[in-house]
Amino acid sequence: MNLVAVGINHRTAPLEVREKLWMSSDEIRTAVAAMKGHPFTECFIVSTCNRTELYGLYSGSSDDAPPDIDELKDQLIKVKAPGGPVKREHLYHMISSNAIRHLFKVASGIDSMVIGDIQILSQIKDDFNIAYEEKAAGPLLHRLLQSTYHVGKRTRTETTITEGAVSVSYAAVELANKIFSDLSKKTALLIGAGETGELTAKHLVGRGIGSIFVANRTKAKAEEVVAALGGKAVDFDSLHQMLNQVDIVVSSITSDKFVVTKSDVQRAMKERSNKPLFIIDIGVPRNIDPGANDIENVFLHDMDGISAIIDRNVQKRRAEIPRVNEIVLEELTEFHNWYNSLQVNPTIHDLRTHFEQVRQEEVEKNINRFAAEDRELVDLVTKRIVNKLLHLPTTNLKNGNEETEEEKHKKLHIVRSLFGLHKHPSPKE
Amino acid sequence: MKILVDAFTIALPVLYFGTVWAYAKAFFKDSPLAKRVKTPLLLLTLAIHLAYLLLRTVLFNHPPITTIFEIMSIISFSITAAYTVIEFQTKVKNTGYFILILAFIFQTFSSFFIEDLSEVKPILRSYLLGIHVSSALLGYAAIAISAVYGFLYLMLYHHIKSNRFGVIYNKLPNLETLEKMSMLSIIVGFTFLTIAIAVGLFWLPRAFEHFSYFDPKLIGTVFIWAMYGIGLGAKRTIGWQGRKIMILSIIAFAVSFFSLTIINVYFSAFHKFY
Repeated sequence: MNLVAVGINHRTAPLEVREKLWMSSDEIRTAVAAMKGHPFTECFIVSTCNRTELYGLYSGSSDDAPPDIDELKDQLIKVKAPGGPVKREHLYHMISSNAIRHLFKVASGIDSMVIGDIQILSQIKDDFNIAYEEKAAGPLLHRLLQSTYHVGKRTRTETTITEGAVSVSYAAVELANKIFSDLSKKTALLIGAGETGELTAKHLVGRGIGSIFVANRTKAKAEEVVAALGGKAVDFDSLHQMLNQVDIVVSSITSDKFVVTKSDVQRAMKERSNKPLFIIDIGVPRNIDPGANDIENVFLHDMDGISAIIDRNVQKRRAEIPRVNEIVLEELTEFHNWYNSLQVNPTIHDLRTHFEQVRQEEVEKNINRFAAEDRELVDLVTKRIVNKLLHLPTTNLKNGNEETEEEKHKKLHIVRSLFGLHKHPSPKE
Repeated sequence: MKILVDAFTIALPVLYFGTVWAYAKAFFKDSPLAKRVKTPLLLLTLAIHLAYLLLRTVLFNHPPITTIFEIMSIISFSITAAYTVIEFQTKVKNTGYFILILAFIFQTFSSFFIEDLSEVKPILRSYLLGIHVSSALLGYAAIAISAVYGFLYLMLYHHIKSNRFGVIYNKLPNLETLEKMSMLSIIVGFTFLTIAIAVGLFWLPRAFEHFSYFDPKLIGTVFIWAMYGIGLGAKRTIGWQGRKIMILSIIAFAVSFFSLTIINVYFSAFHKFY
């Protein structure tokens, strides 16, 4: 397949370089519109904070040389960051099957910076739609994208590569779910308004936490967080009373001494009649006296504990890579089969085989009705009929030079579906 | 019918082994096949076990409570039945291994040593006695299960506290659910013990000449029943939670187990039939 991919990602360039190539929807729209027709018959661009990739189909037969890769790289750089830090060396390229395989791997999450992160799939979908609207992407890329979604979907359902929290905020919520059975009946307290703490609180809200309180030194900031999350801002001084009421505490405040001491927690536990209390301390230096973990029914976890969960989950995700690769290979073969079925010669071959099969079956079924001396003649005549019937369709399929690639594919597709020639041997067979 | 009973005697340990194996494979190895077959296998085993007990009752013309090995089969059945109820009630499907292994051990012992007795003391042919014994055993099976869940709770509790995130952390349900399952088992157990005691007190004095309210087994069971009753009451009034109540459930079970064993072996007056 005449597909070429050119791109930049976290493996080939640092953030400050690859962010220069990040494109907004409008920029993608302009770029694909400019490349449509020349150098590509079909193309689309995917752009996220970690990668920008251009996929293009060039015209000609599959033996033709692809467009000049260096020129393509320059073109991509020129769109966004001419004269900047982005150099040709930061970009990679792939051709034909390698480009398809790469796209499938991106969709499956094994090429992501955080392994198994397949949020990229929806980004691919959105960016592809832009190309489709601009008529830069046609039927071939459309089919390729369908296969790409399929890879993403299968990865999600058939493997566990997307499972297990791999960020601090998710790991904290995962831990809360191992202690409590129903978060909607629980309440949480967020101490401080740091980014990670806020993100954790957001995930707790996402998992349906009953209610959430925010305590911060400057109450205005707490109210800002509450405005975004819902919940209630409380005075920083009332923090210790709050420990009696809530089930989950998320603390991420900058402080050189403990904000909550062991005796604070002890007192609170007595007043809450020993109901389990889960505390996540993501402050550095730590906000909560680590000794509090010795108290019964108190589960105190700091960054070390959370990191242990993340490490374990990352390992588990890594272990799934071979299974994901199998899916990628299967989908690649499937796509190749489809693509090959669009070629003229295999279609003619399949069509003839199909007719010959029908002829043979009918002759065999009825041959005994004929006298022995006529049987050879029956065989000959039926063969001639089939050949005559197929002569014109064969010639028409072969002489499609003046048609565009798209028309040719459409025609082949119709013939195949009309005669039920869907099963086509893979290239390996 | 005799052939069927003999066949089930052999088949039951095999079925229990298969079920326990499937639950273990599903828990420790995440095997998709094991996950699919474990609950159907459990239901099949339970059904055959029930059929086995009924067949024995009809064939030998007495409820299977006349020897220690018949009792063991009932204990095994009680554990499996109680677990099945809990699995369907709580929808937590992956703790079966820890409980069904007990059922497997009891049934295997039973199958090896069980005898076919048609001649038994007339008193043992009573179906009221059948209810008395079955509910007592169901009660004990349920409190045994509560102890298993208490034990699982403590394991998970310590794993979470000490940042160990292995199989126990991944596969067990959350602490609150384990506590709930343990408490549910205690309530079921307490209910059955209440029935056993009620039937016993109502019927036993009429059936036995030598009946005595000072019988050790009677006193022992009433003591255990009272201990759980007080515990349940205390949980409600004082609001005991988490680790403490789970440790209590294990201690209570240990006390029950030892007191019953000691009473059965050393003291038993009219309350002993074999």
